Amino acid sequence: MEYLNQNLESLRQTFQTFVGAVKDSRGGVLAIVPSREGSPSATCQGQWVHSAYDPRKEAQSWAEQQVREWKEGELGVVLGVGLLYHVEALALVKPPDSRLAVVVPDVSVFKDAAGARPLGSWLNTIQWITGTPEEMAEQLASQSTPLRFFTYGPAARLHVEEHQRLETSLRRIMASKVGGRLHVAVVGPIYGGSLPIAHYVVSALNELGHRVSWLNHNVHQVSYEAFGSFREERHRLTLQSRFADVLSLSTMAHMAEDPPDLVLAIAQAPLTLAVLQHLRKKKFLTAMWFMENYRHLTYWRQMAAGYDYWFVIQQGECLDALKRAGAAQVHYLPMAADLTVHRPMTLTAAEQQEFGGDVAFVGAGYSNRRALLPRWVSNEWTFKLWGNEWDGAANLSSVLQRNGARIDTDTCVRVFNATKVNLNLHSSSGIGLDAQPDFVNPRTFELAACGAFQLVDERTLLPDLFTPEEVVCFRRTEDVRQLIRTWLTDTAGRREHAEASRRRVLRDHTYRHRLQELLVAVGLNQPDRIGSILRGERSTVQLKERAATVPELVPLLSRFPPGQRVELKDLAADIRARAPGRQLAREELLVLMLDSYRAEKKDLI
Amino acid sequence: MTQRALLIQLARLGDLVQTIPAITALKEAHADWIVDLLCPAHLEGIGRVLPGISTVVKWDGAAWNRRALLAEKEFRPEHVVEADADLRAIAKEPYDYAFVLNQHPRAILAGALLARESIGTITGGPLEQKLSPWATYVRAVASDRGENRIHLADAFCGMCGVSPPKHMMPMQVPFASLPLDLDPIGQSDGPWVGLLVGAGDQERLVPVTIWARLITDCLNSLQRSRIVLVGSEQEEERAHSIQTALPPSLLGRVWDTTGRLSLTQLAVVLTRSQVVIGSDTGPLHLAAAVGTQVIGWYFARARVHETGPYGQNHWVWQAAETGGEEARLITPHRWPIDETIALLSHQATASVTDWSLLTSHRDRWGAYYVQAGQEPIAPFQREAVWHELHPSLV
Repeated sequence: MEYLNQNLESLRQTFQTFVGAVKDSRGGVLAIVPSREGSPSATCQGQWVHSAYDPRKEAQSWAEQQVREWKEGELGVVLGVGLLYHVEALALVKPPDSRLAVVVPDVSVFKDAAGARPLGSWLNTIQWITGTPEEMAEQLASQSTPLRFFTYGPAARLHVEEHQRLETSLRRIMASKVGGRLHVAVVGPIYGGSLPIAHYVVSALNELGHRVSWLNHNVHQVSYEAFGSFREERHRLTLQSRFADVLSLSTMAHMAEDPPDLVLAIAQAPLTLAVLQHLRKKKFLTAMWFMENYRHLTYWRQMAAGYDYWFVIQQGECLDALKRAGAAQVHYLPMAADLTVHRPMTLTAAEQQEFGGDVAFVGAGYSNRRALLPRWVSNEWTFKLWGNEWDGAANLSSVLQRNGARIDTDTCVRVFNATKVNLNLHSSSGIGLDAQPDFVNPRTFELAACGAFQLVDERTLLPDLFTPEEVVCFRRTEDVRQLIRTWLTDTAGRREHAEASRRRVLRDHTYRHRLQELLVAVGLNQPDRIGSILRGERSTVQLKERAATVPELVPLLSRFPPGQRVELKDLAADIRARAPGRQLAREELLVLMLDSYRAEKKDLI
Repeated sequence: MTQRALLIQLARLGDLVQTIPAITALKEAHADWIVDLLCPAHLEGIGRVLPGISTVVKWDGAAWNRRALLAEKEFRPEHVVEADADLRAIAKEPYDYAFVLNQHPRAILAGALLARESIGTITGGPLEQKLSPWATYVRAVASDRGENRIHLADAFCGMCGVSPPKHMMPMQVPFASLPLDLDPIGQSDGPWVGLLVGAGDQERLVPVTIWARLITDCLNSLQRSRIVLVGSEQEEERAHSIQTALPPSLLGRVWDTTGRLSLTQLAVVLTRSQVVIGSDTGPLHLAAAVGTQVIGWYFARARVHETGPYGQNHWVWQAAETGGEEARLITPHRWPIDETIALLSHQATASVTDWSLLTSHRDRWGAYYVQAGQEPIAPFQREAVWHELHPSLV
């Protein structure tokens, strides 16, 4: 108690409210255990929060590792409270002119720390961030300096959920503020369901004002399929795999010729682990948006360590599994809709006739759909089934449209618009509802964006994305017929849900939102690189201000529009373009020399 | 008035050594000039002993790399200021002339930054990339091949605006003590044969088994001979593999220096060898420069008429091209092992399928090679080239 009072007394002057909250808290989250060396250590639920041997030494070594990344002027933000040994160690080695903040999701833990040992005057130099995760995110987002996060794992694991909520909230807040222009290379798949999403991603990045290099491997689909025509599987797989290697290499050649700030791969992008490792060696940042069910498509196990950032549509075990497989950064990023594609439409009578109906389902013939959809065909309503891979589904042949041909996106959107009740049944390999119903498929967002009414099978991640007033869920297959019956007769209710769900998409679930969040997530981890670009810190204006000591550079910088981001390669390209017929200034030669070394570093092939 | 000239050679050891004739010729033509050398920092030791060089200016490529990495992450005007300060530290006043002997952009930019006038591989501004007549010639022979062209080292002279040197003296190697256990090298009866175990490019590597056979046969044939394995740190494993393949009874006559010598110590070891064998590598040219006879095995992309060891009385086995574009990269199917040993034993050499043996000579137009056993009649094509490219010098 003596330590607690002393420590809180020293804090009272500066952090009165915080001290009050600590005093009022119950404490007792941590069990204080003496370490071998004598100083107090702690456990929580049987696991050590600090070293059992020497917590100070362990904290020093942790701090020394963290501080290498910490740039002057950044606000260091520590996740994980424990007994604050690590915070103390970091406070001692922090760069000059940098400040340190600690996220305190539960003041009880702080109370345990303050009661365990005397804390020094450094306590008053720390900014203590408390409140709900959303409130803490607001506090951090309001800082004028770039944030640099440091996670002290053993203590941070006590509040994983709070930290995830804080990060999500922070990403959203920051996403609305960012303004710089990045160069993003989007690497798409050769074919498949993620291909249209790659297009949406490219559009969203363009809309956000970033420069996009679109590596569209779909142009190689014919060749890829031709290699798949060999009878022997061994031949087929070898050739297709080698072909994917060549495409991977061609991606690298693109990177070498026009180096991006970020390489964003879309699920099934043909990038091999070797190429990813080579890109990392050459200091390229890579990210993968894996919009697949990680339980079914498992190549992430081999690729996990290859990408710097993973974005996935599942949470919980999916995040842990990727981290175990070697992924350094894994973030949840649900699907979305593209408002220029998925939109309400006014259909002609003929279109209404062709695409419309009481009930419809659009999708491929997975086994659970083959088993369940026939139960929902009825004489009470018209039913239309759209999509391919329905061969052999005799009990659905009467409702199958266009003989089971593949349906393009435009037709999908027309069907969504023309149908009273759109069924949205997530695929699974069983015969019932998905046994592990977590992620939310793109269709959910696309239907909502179209202002269409949908009945969707319940998903654990859906409540965070849509409310029951926006999207109607079913938990049991036997409820669906009654739900159809009910909603077919409730035109106004359907309209209210559909409109509410569209409003929700407009507010929260477009690809624009997702890409902003993705870039901010990368920016928060790279405050001095991607982060600084997003904050617009590399504009001509800022560089000109900095160039006060080199006035000769000002004319070079003045050639770029004030708000434009200027990099070394841009300056060099401009000098080269204007070189013929004139004598180059010394500063121009120096820029070219620097650029020749930069170019060599990016010489990938 | 004394002129200050900077000779810029930012390539590898072999190119730096091949620059010696140009330096010698420049000093012959302009005895009162101060000629400095700009070379990669790690070659400074060799640069210092090149005849005719006043000061060696080190090019710190690693520092430029670090700076470029930072500038790429976030360009700041300070990067330009720092780069400028570094350059001013190595050359306070601009040189009157820079002789730029590489076509690499950074050598050309270095010339533009450090001197009032650049001469050498390009004409015009540093970005114009208009090759000088001599650089055009070098590029053309590299693609056309053929015999009796101007040697690269003499083409360097042409780029500097001077004829090949009248006199070439062996490079004077400064005293450098060797590690104690290696000090006996070359100090007793021999012959001591230096063997260059590696090469900068993978394609120029002689297989380990071939080197092992050559060593075995050499030590068996020449009773008092010793073999000195020469190579860098990266070649230690290769040297170890070679020794593993040798009969244990011969190991006492093999001296492994790989990874243990500085460049100056390397020059000492090459001086103490009576003959040095290897593919077209920097140490082979260094051996020739210090006055040691060399036997080169030229294959892959190496061509004796362009980059044969400079000087007189060197031997080169040149693998034959078999025609076609892909043949430019010559991969020998057999190696002139017995024939090389015959050379070491001063015996007549038999001809070898797919290889020809050439010997080096020098005249006023520079170095040239002729087939072994033939009269050293200077090929007249070289004179014609000098007439065409540099009529004022002829």
